[in-house]
Amino acid sequence: MPSLKDIKTQINSVVSTKKITTAMKMVAASKLRRSQEKAVAARPYSSRLEEMLSSLASSAASGEGIIKLLTGTGNDKSYMVVPISADRGLCGGFNSSINRETFKLVKSLEKDGKKVQLMPVGKKSRDFFIRVMKDQIIESFIDLNLSNTGYESALQVSNKLQDLYFDGKFDKCILVFNKFKSAISQEVTQQQLIPLDVSDTSKEGKEDNNAAKAIYDYEPDEETILKDLLPKNVSIQIFKVLLESDAGEHGARMAAMDNATRNAGEMIDGLTLKYNRTRQAFITKELIEIISGAESI
Amino acid sequence: MAKISFDLVSPENLIFNDDVGMIIIPGKDGDLGVLPGHSKVMSSLRPGRVMVYGEDKNLLKSFFVSAGFAEINPEKCIVLAESVDEINNLDKNKIKKEIQELQNQDTEDSKQQLIIANAKVDALNSSFYEKI
Repeated sequence: MPSLKDIKTQINSVVSTKKITTAMKMVAASKLRRSQEKAVAARPYSSRLEEMLSSLASSAASGEGIIKLLTGTGNDKSYMVVPISADRGLCGGFNSSINRETFKLVKSLEKDGKKVQLMPVGKKSRDFFIRVMKDQIIESFIDLNLSNTGYESALQVSNKLQDLYFDGKFDKCILVFNKFKSAISQEVTQQQLIPLDVSDTSKEGKEDNNAAKAIYDYEPDEETILKDLLPKNVSIQIFKVLLESDAGEHGARMAAMDNATRNAGEMIDGLTLKYNRTRQAFITKELIEIISGAESI
Repeated sequence: MAKISFDLVSPENLIFNDDVGMIIIPGKDGDLGVLPGHSKVMSSLRPGRVMVYGEDKNLLKSFFVSAGFAEINPEKCIVLAESVDEINNLDKNKIKKEIQELQNQDTEDSKQQLIIANAKVDALNSSFYEKI
């Protein structure tokens, strides 16, 4: 039987763990609110950009240069997979589900005979893929510090991707990220970034776009606008995804810490009960010893 | 007089959203004045001033945008800008210092920034469109 002192130390350690998890939960909750606001604030831009693009995309012909972001290279051989995770742990299954999903995706693409390269964003996925498939990592981004730099950090990722794309390093690019559904649930989502999935974007704004499509005047001209718009769209998509993932991270951490706090509470209750019982057992034992000692005299 | 709804959006947030009388935006090939009922136009923008006017043509706000796009239809005008500063918040001395620093660099990036910084100074110096 453990001594009273042992149980007491155990209780104390759980109590301090509980304090930490409670604090982390609070921090995550306030960060969640902020990053949620950001994600909401960024929404008008991306949705309007998508609207513009979908009315343009239908009229685009295939060609060389930048337009390849829309039409693709015509090949389907090599893939760039971009898993987006958090920089820090202690947020439940947030990071591991990204890693697992990406790993599965890479394996299934490889089984189909495709060449797969990786560009992890976030420390947790970088560390994971350095362990399992080191030689496929082209580049990685960590400590993007989204809360301060915002759009700039998305540009870094997007510029690198586009440089690689126009160097012919890959044909298709897929993002794997946690979509922010609500404060407590995230959904691992795959999104094809390059070439642009037009069928998806045009669906959202279909009603008003069908009517409006053909009659726009373009200044300077359609092609120039498309050339400006497409790279921007890539950056904006990445920005949106990064914000979603950031909000998701805080949500996941909040939920995980809430759970941990509750578990710690239960554990403390259990241990306190055990402590009291042991104390009582000791007292009873001592009493019995005294009484039986007195009797034997 | 009729009004046109005007949105000015940067990647980080929605900066302006209201019904206004008129907007002047810096189109790539020249400034565009947008009144309610304007024909449908999609234009890319050069660095310059976006001026917002009320119904009786009084200047409400002026912004500096570094690049972006505008979508115009009879009821609505949307400007998607790369970065937006309110003209009143720009500091001339700071920009001039920035220009000097940028002139000493010789990268593709700094050249771009130099163009934008110069456009900022132009925007601060120019006073046309302020009264129409």
